[in-house]
Amino acid sequence: MTDEAETNPAEAMTFEVLRSALIDGSAARLGRLALAGRKTIDTPNFFALTSRGVVPHITPDNVDKHLDTGGVYMALEDFIERPQQHQKRQPPIYDTPTTKRHPRPLHSFTATPPSVMTILGARRIPAVASPMGNTNTSVSVFTSQGFQVLTTKEYHQAVATLQPDIAIPLADLSHHGPVTPTSKRALRMAERTDEWLGSYLADLPSLSKTATYAPIPPVPFPIQWEYLSRLSEDLLPLKKIAGLALYDPDILPDLLTAHQNLTPLPRLSLSAPPTPHHILRHIALGTDIFTLPFLNTVSDSGLALTFSLTPPPPTSPSSSQILPLATDLSTPQNATSLTPLSKNCTCYACTAHHAAYIHHLLSAREMLAWTLLQMHNHAVLSQFFADIRASLLSNTFTEKAALFARSYEPEFPAGMGERPRARGYQYKSAGGDGKRNRPAWEKFEGDGDKKEVGVEPGTRSEGLETPLVPDEVDGTAAALDHMGFAEIEHGAEQK
Amino acid sequence: MWAVKRMASTSASSAALTFELVAKCSTTRARASVMTLPHGPVNLPMFMPVATQASLKGLTPEQLEGTGCRLCLNNTYHLGLKPGQEVLDAVGGAHKLQGWNHNILTDSGGFQMVSLLKLATVTEEGVRFLSPHDGTPMLLTPEHSISLQNSIGSDIIMQLDDVLVTTSPDKVRMREAMERSVRWLDRCIAAHKNPDSQNLFCIIQGGLDLDMRRECCKEMVARDTPGIAIGGLSGGEAKDDFCRVVGACNQLLPELKPRYVMGIGYPEDLVVSVALGADMFDCVWPTRTARFGNAITKDGMLNLKREKYAADFGPIEDGCGCPCCRPIDEEGSMGITRAFVHHNAAKETVAAHLLTMHNVWYQLNLMREAREAIIADRFPAFVREFFGRLYPDGQGYPSWAVDALQGVGIDLNS
Ligand SMILES: [Zn+2]
Ligand SMILES: [Zn+2]
Repeated sequence: MTDEAETNPAEAMTFEVLRSALIDGSAARLGRLALAGRKTIDTPNFFALTSRGVVPHITPDNVDKHLDTGGVYMALEDFIERPQQHQKRQPPIYDTPTTKRHPRPLHSFTATPPSVMTILGARRIPAVASPMGNTNTSVSVFTSQGFQVLTTKEYHQAVATLQPDIAIPLADLSHHGPVTPTSKRALRMAERTDEWLGSYLADLPSLSKTATYAPIPPVPFPIQWEYLSRLSEDLLPLKKIAGLALYDPDILPDLLTAHQNLTPLPRLSLSAPPTPHHILRHIALGTDIFTLPFLNTVSDSGLALTFSLTPPPPTSPSSSQILPLATDLSTPQNATSLTPLSKNCTCYACTAHHAAYIHHLLSAREMLAWTLLQMHNHAVLSQFFADIRASLLSNTFTEKAALFARSYEPEFPAGMGERPRARGYQYKSAGGDGKRNRPAWEKFEGDGDKKEVGVEPGTRSEGLETPLVPDEVDGTAAALDHMGFAEIEHGAEQK
Repeated sequence: MWAVKRMASTSASSAALTFELVAKCSTTRARASVMTLPHGPVNLPMFMPVATQASLKGLTPEQLEGTGCRLCLNNTYHLGLKPGQEVLDAVGGAHKLQGWNHNILTDSGGFQMVSLLKLATVTEEGVRFLSPHDGTPMLLTPEHSISLQNSIGSDIIMQLDDVLVTTSPDKVRMREAMERSVRWLDRCIAAHKNPDSQNLFCIIQGGLDLDMRRECCKEMVARDTPGIAIGGLSGGEAKDDFCRVVGACNQLLPELKPRYVMGIGYPEDLVVSVALGADMFDCVWPTRTARFGNAITKDGMLNLKREKYAADFGPIEDGCGCPCCRPIDEEGSMGITRAFVHHNAAKETVAAHLLTMHNVWYQLNLMREAREAIIADRFPAFVREFFGRLYPDGQGYPSWAVDALQGVGIDLNS
């Protein structure tokens, strides 16, 4: 292959492959996704994941100002709950008026900055497994009110009404873990996904504002060869599909060998690579765009990402120290550290603030901790992808990826910081959010009654409420004394 | 000659504070002024949002700045426990800790202990309480409070006072508390290490007894602090009593010093207090109520969690200039709708952040508008319009407000 650009034919959204398959054994490539009015997205890159239409903890003004993110993934299941008292109501999002600045309802409802692309799928990533399973004409989704049936018709109508920039038609997925590759279930997943894409295109014959990214279910190539042939031979020539949404990028080598004409399509990965190591492997397989659930999780754990594609030079020539992927800001050594969260980071959190502040916010359970960590962690990822693109341009990707693998630990450390309230229903209670009993304040000259004061019940562990009396004091009276807050009254007797 | 004299009499300076009186309402006792602090000038009257633990509930300092805020509160009590004095010293104070380059005011730390929580016992030395961890008896003194506030480095620091709820019937105890607060002010002044960069404000006590308040004013004013607070009004007292105390104190306070009424934040309370001559206010209510889905508007409070807002695609408040509400085609507008806040209220922290931004803006803007009205000498009209919006049928004005405003020349019912 050469440097020559391959472009999609005239469509509202364009994807250009700038450089591809430079080195044997790697399908990594450089591309550019563009839509008039939106930020151009150089690939490889990632889309931010939203929860209920927001990047967790980040208000839309800050998404615009302080995230590089050019696209956000939204799940329809986050918008269509039927509250018990209002079972019949139509989800309000379908009635969203548009404005000149927000000409598309999905953008308008979620106040997504106009520079950012929206990608609509049916389910969150990762999705909560439903005990009900899918039928021939519906999938089971999980809303704030519990499991609910989403028919293919309603989904197609939602795409037409909400006008996302990119839509991913329904795939028949099993969220209970891997499916046996040769099972009947695997075969049915492929067949239903094929059928549903057919009915999507039949229901939406003249979709002009939304690019369709065909879902590729996580089953082996031979099981879904018929479906993939249809994409390649029937739908692509008709310009019905503008991209591929892969639930498992490991299918890419087989897919691209068999259907070279699918090569110009952008490849969005909906798998959940758990670490940057996996990202590098998926890029080598040919993934262009990622969704990365670990980002939100890492931020909620009080971790600041610290990796970069090119690791810092070792402190001594003989040093072969393996570097951590992230640092836990809740640890005491950050208490007075005025350094950025990671060296050389130029994000808002690192330029306007420092590790000591985030440490304080985590320890005080202030919501701003997670806001600043999100900004930083998204920035580190953006830089990681920018470095990857630069390495592709200079033909150094493969060796840099190998160096990265040697230099960094395989997994993220466990963050010890207190999490924000597990944002409700999306997290099935796994007993991990257990409330610790904290020492309560006792009345001086009191009756020994311990009480909680000045806090609305249930709001404290969520970081929503600051107790009038801080409920956890690190250490003893000696520590209080040491902190300068007050002094121990030596010789005084407790009555 | 007259002009010179007038110039001389409209501004006053102390080491770290300049107070410039810009305008006085010709009907009420309302005043507009500029108070210049070590981290820049602020316009009075003003509302100060409360960033209890060096953070305003999810807003970045940049977003707080965007609401127009140039003076916010931190709580000494909370910062004393987290991150603690040693860290504050190492980091270089609260401004550096939170990346806030504007002004900070801190309370003394005694208020939570004594007045709200009833967990402590007050003696002449200070506030005695038990360590929450192991029950060890501990002592918080005026000297501790000032030392901590010196480490925090706030632009305005407050004396430790002996606070009683104003409704306490115990006259003897009330007098003891008032007199002790004066003595503690002397100890605070003596302990204060940075009078050139931090302004120590005294706090007038004396409960609802106007004579005791007046006596306290006289004693406190004699100590010539750069600013003066009226304390002890915890919200438990009747609103008429509150207005009487604020009115009586303001009449005795020197004209060229800022007057701070502590712990109030309801819009009606702010507007009436301004009419009575007060300049500064603080309260956690606007930011706290935001977290429960409540938006403060000119037409009253809206709970956006209610179903009626689920498909309401208007802004949180029509005509509001905050980044959530300002018209969508204006610079910096987010285009937030009530439906979107409803969608995420109590589900995503972002909904709370957006309402916090709106509510803080509302409070600051209310004081901005009051100030403009004072300068244009149309403050009485502003007050009538404000109450007219809150009580649209023209009836049901709270009698305390009617009476208090009547006392300064505004007839709400006219
Ligand atoms: Zn950073
Ligand atoms: Zn607003």
